[in-house]
Formats: sequence, structure tokens, C-alpha cells
Amino acid sequence: MREDDARAQSALERALDEQVLSGRSSRRRFVGRTAGAALMAGGLASVLSACGISGTAQENVAELEKAAATVRHPKVPIGDWTFSNWPLYMDKSVLKTFDKRYGGKVKYVEDINDNNDFFGKVRQQLTQDQPIGRDIVVLTDPMAARWVRSGFVTPFDPRNVPNRKNLVENLRTIKYDPKRQFTLPFQSGAIGIGYDIKATGRELKSIKEFFNPEFKGKCTMLSEPYDSASSVLIMQGKDPATASIDDMLGAIDFIEKAAGKGQFRRFTGNDYTTDLTKGNVELVLAYSGDMVQLQADNPNLRFAYPEEGAVTFTDNLMLPANVAHPYAAETMFNFLYEPDIAAKLCAYINYISPVEGIRPILEKSDPDIASNELIFPTDEIRGRLKVYPSLSTREEQQMYEAMSKVTGA
Amino acid sequence: MSLSRRRKLLPWWFALPGLLWLAVFFAIPILNQVSVSLMSGDPEVGFKLTWSFSTYWDAIRDYHAQFTRSIGYAGAATIIDLIIAFPLAYFIAYKAGRFKGLWLLLVILPFFVSQVMRTASWQLILNDDGWLVARMQDVGIVSGDGRFLATGKAVIFGISYNFLPFMVLPLYATLDRIDRRLIEAASDLYCSRWVAFRKVTVPLAVPGIFAGSLLVFIPACGDYINSSILGSSNTTMIGNVIQSKFLNVLDYPTAAALSFLLMGVILIGIAIYGRVLGTKNLTELAG
Repeated sequence: MREDDARAQSALERALDEQVLSGRSSRRRFVGRTAGAALMAGGLASVLSACGISGTAQENVAELEKAAATVRHPKVPIGDWTFSNWPLYMDKSVLKTFDKRYGGKVKYVEDINDNNDFFGKVRQQLTQDQPIGRDIVVLTDPMAARWVRSGFVTPFDPRNVPNRKNLVENLRTIKYDPKRQFTLPFQSGAIGIGYDIKATGRELKSIKEFFNPEFKGKCTMLSEPYDSASSVLIMQGKDPATASIDDMLGAIDFIEKAAGKGQFRRFTGNDYTTDLTKGNVELVLAYSGDMVQLQADNPNLRFAYPEEGAVTFTDNLMLPANVAHPYAAETMFNFLYEPDIAAKLCAYINYISPVEGIRPILEKSDPDIASNELIFPTDEIRGRLKVYPSLSTREEQQMYEAMSKVTGA
Repeated sequence: MSLSRRRKLLPWWFALPGLLWLAVFFAIPILNQVSVSLMSGDPEVGFKLTWSFSTYWDAIRDYHAQFTRSIGYAGAATIIDLIIAFPLAYFIAYKAGRFKGLWLLLVILPFFVSQVMRTASWQLILNDDGWLVARMQDVGIVSGDGRFLATGKAVIFGISYNFLPFMVLPLYATLDRIDRRLIEAASDLYCSRWVAFRKVTVPLAVPGIFAGSLLVFIPACGDYINSSILGSSNTTMIGNVIQSKFLNVLDYPTAAALSFLLMGVILIGIAIYGRVLGTKNLTELAG
């Protein structure tokens, strides 16, 4: 069973890998790099750095790689330290166990509600090379990539995280951090179709339903373009992993046309849950983990991995730049990668765990969780999972600007 | 230093902490944001001061709808709050007797819960199939098969609800301070209770109305929580645009320019309002 599980997991990871690592050095990127090099040659680097701009992404990454090669965080007694995470993303008893076992006290703050909002909060300190007062932050792939690109992270000392060997195979490498020196997956999830089967009267399987006049004004769309536009691309038969900014803008345009006709009641973050549970809408573009939690209260709520494919995302544990308590943070990384602890966490938060070998544990303790395909997707579903496109900061800005026009802001 | 000179300087010494506070937490950020609003660039290469005033024009051209909407919603909410708060404040000041403290506590009690939580609970109460929306359909506030959430009405309602205490408290303070003997005198001079109310109480309450309206209108103009929780993409206010520009699009210059435009619009509005209702003209109004 354990082997099957491992095989299934690794199939997923391979799929993710291929998409993420398919080494797309697009023309746009090439031009960007050349321009960067030209700037350097022109001696503008000094001017830029005088303006508080720390050079190009490559330079940052090269610097980080150098730091990673020699990183050494000696064992020190653990005192008070800070772990920033998203709401409802932790079993607090896990933290208590940690404190008891390793001493000290983890200050656990749920102050990351949105990658962009959080970045806005700490951007000033990061760009000025100041500590942000947090020892662990948890950020989703595109934002994690931006932090690596900008040099806002500290490499972790692999000697303090031996349990990283339990990382599922397909997540062991990712384009922005091929050797996993700066980021370690915390949880993964998928974006799919959430609906109330009592209201719809039938099973829904396709992303096309979001554009079906039958659900006009009775469905919500995610305001995060990485989620919504990528889903639309999948519906159109394109793979978001290899999508260009133009593809994304095209998908946003498609959403805009429907929005103009009043197709979507609202554009939401996680707050679609209220509209769905209260019956204001019948159909929501939803995150898998949320739906597991909602189903516990209302068995009529369903989550479907769209037949065309589903976007999957990973939230990553990271040490921010100028971290004050790296050893404590790394000890937590290691702790979260113990299968027993990871199983406990998974049973509580219901997202897809990146830790190998937790399914057999859950089969004994929580058979319902172990057999839930939202938490342990089947091979067939794993084959349909796609990852986000990789965009430069400038392209991201273009994408958010286009999406903000659609959401009215 | 001569005594008279020291005396002259004394008030400045008293003002010093406040001035320092203002300089550090108001003037410096404002100047910083003014310079940001005149920068151009993008988040990848950074922003540089280029004195690009065109950002302001572009912001007006692209977002005048959200500006108008913000002012409209905030204005409507201010009027609704005034209509609700005046009788309430009057009651607390004149009729609540020894329960005044309790009533005031009830007014500010909602502040003990975060605004987001309070607004989100309205999202639950106002759901389409809920009792309240059904009653609103009965009285015609909402059309027969219509909804209340995700409409402009819901946003105005949310703002009115959230800012009501800001109207009640200054009104109460003013009404409570009115010398009751003036009202008695009016009655002695054969004013009916209604005329005494209209000719004495209301004019003397004008400073409270003025203060309350400003306290509601100004933050309401920049509010984004109500629109994002109770509204839809057709009800976005300028606060939502600023938030999205700042945190999602990372277009800091436009975000800063929009903030200053909002500030300008509000200042002009207040100046006009102050002319009409300002404390200077109190005596004329009372006369």
C-alpha cells in the first residue's frame, strides 16, 4: 500500500516537474536578461542600487546560491520565535508538541491572508534589507518565486532538516528553486468546481459551467488571476504551465466578457464559502481544502476536479532574509516533515500533504481522510493537474492590472 | 532669555510633542507619497521620480466612476446616519435619565468587535433566502426575486451601520450640553415644543451635526471593507482601487495619486460644507 501511495505521489510530482521544469527560456525572458546585462554594462547598476533597487533577479539568485553553498545555522537553544502562516492552516496541538519537545515558545501568527497583501506589508523592510520580524513565512508558488528572485529569502541549512528526504518526489525540484535550498513545500491544493448538488440538480464536471447562462448571477469567480485565468486556459485546452502573459491576458479578457453580461455574482478570495453555504450561489471556483472543510457541515456540497484539468498550487515554508532564529525555524521544518506530525496536520487542515508516507498512518487513524480523493487524489486525477505559469514581476503586474479592471478595481 | 520671551515660547513647547508627532507620522509619509505619486517605472526595475503629473490625469480618466460612486455612497450613508442618529442621540441626552451610560455603551459596543467581523456577519444575515431579505422584498426595498447582497444598497447599508457611532457620539455630546433653560425660555415665550425644537435645539446641535457628518463622510469615502464584503464588481469604491493598485498591481504611483485626489476632493467638499454649516455661521443660523 505504501508503495502504491509513493508511486501515485511520484506520478503527480513528475507531472508537476515536467511542467515546471520544462525549461522555457521564452523570447521575452531572453530579452529581459539581455536588457539587464546591458544596463549593468552601462554602469547603471550603481545608479539603480543607489535608488534602493538591488539589481537583477539573476544576480540575486546567484548571490543566494552562494549563500546556500556555505549556509551554516548552528544548533542553539530555541527561545521565542515567530511563525507566520495563513488562517486555518495549522493544528495548534502540533505547535504545542513542538514547544514541549524542543523548548522555547513559537509565536504563531495567522497574518497571511493573501500573498500580495502580505508582501505589501513587509515589502518596505525587505527592500531595505531589514528583518521582517518573522522566522517562517508561508507563501504560494508565484510569490515564493518572486521572493527568491528578489533575494528576500535566507537559504536553510539542510543539516538541520534531515527529514526533507520525506518530500514527495515530484516537488523535490521547482523552477525557481531547483535544489529546494530556499523553500520547502508546506501544503498543496487544487482549484476546481465547488457546487451545491441540491441546487444544481446534477453533477458538474467542466469549467465551462462557469460560463453557462444557466448559472448567470449564481456563480462566483476567484479574483486571483493566477487561479481564475489559469483555469480558463485549461478549459480552452491550453496548459497554463507553458502559458505566456498574452495567453493569460486573453483568458482574463474571456472572463471580462462574461462578467460584463452579469455572469458572476462576485469575484472572491476564500470568501466564496459564505455565498455557497448560504445558498446565494450554486457554483464557485473553489480551493480543494476549503471544500473538504465545508462538506463536513453540508454533505450536499461537492468538489470536482474539472475534466479538462485542474490548477494545483503549493504553499512553501521559507526563511525570510535577515531571519533572526533560523535554527528554530529549521527545526520546525524538520518537525513538520515527520510523517506522524504531517499526518496529524493533514487530518486537521485537509490539504494535500507534500510528506511521503502519511497515508498508511491515516488509514489507521482517520480512514475517511485517507480515502478522500480531495486529499489523496487518484492517479487519474493527478494526471490532470497543471501548475501556474511562470511570469516575470512586470508580467505579473500586467496581469493583475488587467484583472483589477475586471473586478471593478 | 527674558521672561516675556519665555512666555511667548511656552505655548510652542507645549505644542512640540504634537508637532513632532505630526511631522513624523503625517508630514513625512505625505511628502513621501507625493513623491511616489510623481514617479514612474515598474516593480521590476523600480520607480524613479520623473515628475509625471500625467499619472493624476490618467487616474481621473480611468477611475472617475469609482470616485463618483464613493462620494455618492458616503453621502447617502451620512444622511442615513444623521436620520437615525439624531433621534437616538436626542433620546439619550434628554430621556435616558440614569441609563445614559448604558445607552452610550450600547452605541459603542459594536466597536469591541472587529469591523471585518461585523460586516461579514451582515453577509450571513443578508443572504438571499434569509428572513431579512424576504421582509425587504415585502416592503419593496428589494424587488420580488431580487437580492440585497452584492448591490450598491448593501454597501451603503454596511457603511451606515459601521459608521453610525461616529454620528451618534458627537450629536449626543452637543445635545447634552445645550442649556435646557433656553428651551424652557422658548416655551415661556409661547413656542410650541416643535417650534422650540426647530428654532432652538436643532441650531444649537449644528456643531454636532457638522462634526458627526465629517466623522462619517471622510472615512466612508475611503472605505473598502464594505464594498469588498457586501458588494460586487459593480460597487467598487475608490478605496478598493487604491488597495488593489497598491497591493496587487504594485502600481504605487497611481495608488498614491488616487489617494491625493481623494484627499483633495474631500478637502474641497469639507470647505464648501463648512461654509454652509460651519461653526462661524452658527449665530446666523440660530438667529
